[in-house]
Amino acid sequence: MSTRQRQGTTLFTALLVLVGIGVVVQLWLLTASVDAFMRHQGSTALHAALASAVVFVINGLLVLYVFNFDRKINQDR
Amino acid sequence: MPEDKENQQDNCLECKKKKAARWREDFPVNWESDNYVTRREMVKYLALGSLTIAGANAVVAALPHIIQSSEMPKTRIALASSISVGESKLFSYPTEEDPCILVRQNNGDLVAYSQVCTHLSCAVVHNEQENALFCPCHHGYFTVAEGRPFAGPPTRPLPRIKLEQQGNEIFAVGVEIS
Repeated sequence: MSTRQRQGTTLFTALLVLVGIGVVVQLWLLTASVDAFMRHQGSTALHAALASAVVFVINGLLVLYVFNFDRKINQDR
Repeated sequence: MPEDKENQQDNCLECKKKKAARWREDFPVNWESDNYVTRREMVKYLALGSLTIAGANAVVAALPHIIQSSEMPKTRIALASSISVGESKLFSYPTEEDPCILVRQNNGDLVAYSQVCTHLSCAVVHNEQENALFCPCHHGYFTVAEGRPFAGPPTRPLPRIKLEQQGNEIFAVGVEIS
């Protein structure tokens, strides 16, 4: 296994953990926004939705970055 | 004799195993590889889950706007001249099963709220001396000007009824949940 491949493995594991944490945060935000909706607090739900969208964008960018990294490793082989 | 029978049974069990093995050879099912999820797939599923949750959150945030924008009926509820300062009148809006209260404030302005207490759904009444809407069940108080709770167990404001005055007539035109 080359150094670059080892880097890729570490990167992939780290990304998996980060995306997992992001999804857990999003689940918490969804719970909070449903609670706010039931209490008729529209602004809270809106802020939670915005935060959730930001977390999704971060998750998406992380996934794209690592997939690109992976592609480069495969091209080098 | 009993030993022979046991041997025969064992043989049969072996035969069955062999048959099963043959069956497995003909139709191989590799459970381990079937249930194996790679990290790449896991990340993809997590990203898809992230998208789904973000979508669900957006739907929850948009729901109040969708509900409020649905058209409410325009109902004549009272004559402006029939309610003097400090007086109140009960009416139903938007349906006959939704009791509401119309109050003329000390400054002459008319305000209307749902009569259903946001604590445990008792009917609130106007308390002229304290200039408040009062829930007799658990002694909850709401301000007349904004319908906000200021004493007792309620934590949420009363839904406000939007009013429209045309000449001497007052119409209820919508419900505002803050």
